[in-house]
Amino acid sequence: MNTNLKISNVTKIYPGCVANDNVSLEFNSGKIYALLGENGAGKSTLVKILSGVIIPDEGKIYLNENNLKLNSPLDAKKNDIGMVFQHFNLFETLSVFENLIIDSDEQRESLREKIDTIMKKYNFSIDLNIPVLNLSAGQKQKVEIIRCLIRSPKVLIMDEPTSVLTEQETSELFLSLKKFSEEGILIIYITHKLKEVMQLCDEVAVMRRGKLVSVSEIKNENVESLANKMVGQNLKTIKKKKAKTSSDQLIKITNLNFTSEDPFETNLIDINFSVNRGECLGIAGISGNGQSELFRVLSGEIISEKNSIEFNNNYIGDLNPQERREYLMAFSPEDRLEQAAIPQMKIFENVALNNFKSSNFFNNGLINENKIKEHSKKIISDFNVNTDNIELKSQFLSGGNLQKLIIGRELITSPDLLICFNPTWGLDVGAINYIHETLIKINEQNKSIILISTDTDELLKLSDKISVIHKGKLSKIMNAEEVTSEKLGILMGGAD
Amino acid sequence: MIKIVKRDQPSRAIFFFTPVLAIFLTLVAGGLIFFILGFKPFEALKFFFIVPIADKYGFSELLLKATPLCLIAIGLSFCFKSNNWNIGAEGQLTFGAIVSGGVALLFYEQEGFYILPIVILAGAIGGMLYASIPAILKTYFNTNEILVSLMLVYVSKLILDYLVVGPWSNPEGFNFPETRQFSESAKLPLLFEGLRIHAGIFLALAAVVISWFVFYKTYLGFQMKVSGFSLKTAKYAGYKGKKMIILVFLISGACAGLAGVGEITGPIGQLHREISPDYGFTAIIVAFLGRLHPVGIIFASLVVAITYLGAETAQIFMQIPKYTGQVFQGMILFFLLASDYLLFFKIKFIGLKK
Repeated sequence: MNTNLKISNVTKIYPGCVANDNVSLEFNSGKIYALLGENGAGKSTLVKILSGVIIPDEGKIYLNENNLKLNSPLDAKKNDIGMVFQHFNLFETLSVFENLIIDSDEQRESLREKIDTIMKKYNFSIDLNIPVLNLSAGQKQKVEIIRCLIRSPKVLIMDEPTSVLTEQETSELFLSLKKFSEEGILIIYITHKLKEVMQLCDEVAVMRRGKLVSVSEIKNENVESLANKMVGQNLKTIKKKKAKTSSDQLIKITNLNFTSEDPFETNLIDINFSVNRGECLGIAGISGNGQSELFRVLSGEIISEKNSIEFNNNYIGDLNPQERREYLMAFSPEDRLEQAAIPQMKIFENVALNNFKSSNFFNNGLINENKIKEHSKKIISDFNVNTDNIELKSQFLSGGNLQKLIIGRELITSPDLLICFNPTWGLDVGAINYIHETLIKINEQNKSIILISTDTDELLKLSDKISVIHKGKLSKIMNAEEVTSEKLGILMGGAD
Repeated sequence: MIKIVKRDQPSRAIFFFTPVLAIFLTLVAGGLIFFILGFKPFEALKFFFIVPIADKYGFSELLLKATPLCLIAIGLSFCFKSNNWNIGAEGQLTFGAIVSGGVALLFYEQEGFYILPIVILAGAIGGMLYASIPAILKTYFNTNEILVSLMLVYVSKLILDYLVVGPWSNPEGFNFPETRQFSESAKLPLLFEGLRIHAGIFLALAAVVISWFVFYKTYLGFQMKVSGFSLKTAKYAGYKGKKMIILVFLISGACAGLAGVGEITGPIGQLHREISPDYGFTAIIVAFLGRLHPVGIIFASLVVAITYLGAETAQIFMQIPKYTGQVFQGMILFFLLASDYLLFFKIKFIGLKK
């Protein structure tokens, strides 16, 4: 049973931008296809057209020579096109089983059998009776996949599925996808991660600014050639210069413990480390092993014992983030949209979230708007944020530009230490490069960084020293040159 | 064919248009209800919304009712803007009235310019004290402020009941459940001879101006805005969350307490059981109808105040129970919530095409 999906001359125009410009593509089952492109290249629009969320202005979709009319996601489901979105569409408080049957009109019992068969076949082990909120990101994704599989789809579209997964979960996902493909399901895999494309896919279609740039077989490509096609220019490869070894200690964490009242959080156990000036300490780990808690303890969102954190010869464990900023620390949290910035607020208002006293954003309890705006303009030009309107609501910035704004906001006070958590999560290659260059520059100015990241490549590229966090405990701190990604992988898995 | 499309960005115009639409729909639905009840809809609506404010007296009554609504709603907007759900303004109003009434009774048969400011201050403090209960329970014991503030409403009403029946009841009052009349010095001055509108309206206007200033010009206002959008961000920015929660509750309680003072030292002149026709609850509708914006709240309080007056005239001229007023208030909130759908979606009329 062969499946053939054809996209023919699809065009979708939004006011002010052509999201898909006359795109034609053909897919056949038995292969895994990558749809590669930077954020905003038009790949999401294309898959939303395939899944009926968006109706194209022009063009047709054919499945096995039948012209499909996809006016709603329901039409896509009826035509055996399944889709797993980047953000999960699950009801957190309902059980896994309830989530699975919610859009089906089959009998509960026959569905349960069907689900059991699917889970057995693909080695998925998820308790059907617990609420979805208790699942890890990888398990949630499996629930989404099962929900598609129930309908025995001919086409399965995965939209940036690994952005929330750990390395191990990613490799599990890849195994499943390969199995699906062998069984005749046509798989379209949307991503901007080049390595994944090389690892998983058979053919790759690259999009840039709404246009299809190339379609080629993976065996004829390598990471560099794909990156160049995706970005459209030859990328400079970033190399970090070996830092001057300094013995001037900036921050020292001693016997730091954190016990959470929330059962879904990770306790931190006996954390000890120190960072010297001009150094970047990378903290690796599979997500959910205490990184978020560690970040919050370091930033002061969680207060700890006064003596547990020594910064620049001051004990600051009991200070809140604003007070810590005055000691020249800066923080870039993982969640750009819900924590580091407020999308509904204007750019300059978001800049004012970093209330560093000598910035004079607020005088005697009053807002000093001119000062804030002045600073915002400087950040926008110094950090290449792609807009010149500081009155723009930040929801209209792309992820990369928002991250530049946040990093810029944190760095404008010239802090001695920047603590960042997954700073390039979900960004495209261009923005990632920019952020990496910025971080390297900070080190070159003899300032320090604590980089908590789940991206091993990023850590190996930027760090001078690396440690791994596993179940709330830090491994011993290693020199970055001596560490390989295999070694990190083993430590992340919890082995010594 | 009609199609519903998601808006990319809620427009500013629609933000202020939906309250107007809600009022219009309320009128239509109200007319329909009158029609079903056997009245001529237009005439009934005229009795409800136009007749009550057609003369000077009616207009003064309108402002009289709008004053506490506006004052409380302004206070509530401090809470609502910063993600704190104070539902108990009615209780804070009652407790403010109790404290200020008690102070006013202390000065029974005394005159002096200093009495009124003390009475007013006592009311504000009473409201603040009462609002501090849910605030402190929320910040230090993680209780839900919605439940606590709501339940405290009934507690305060029972305290008032006890006082006016028991210890504070008028010795010469033939056991009526009411206190003595306050002395003239403890009463808010009337603005015009023969009209009931009193100086309390200036308190409301001052609250409007101050709140506008705080919301849009101060660090506190900025922190409230950030906390309203995301508590996580507020924490990350290092705002002192507990301090702010208590502060907004205190402001809100003070406003409600002042509204209570306005009632008992204004039109009523004593304490009795029924000092407020649920102004504290209705003000929640006013706050949202006014979009938590000081100027919006002025208009919203006037609109909602009409429903109080209209209900009274309708009862007199059409023998409709005065609870119709509450029906109208409910409908306004209902239609407001419904038309808020338009904030995020727009309706597109598209021709049939092949």
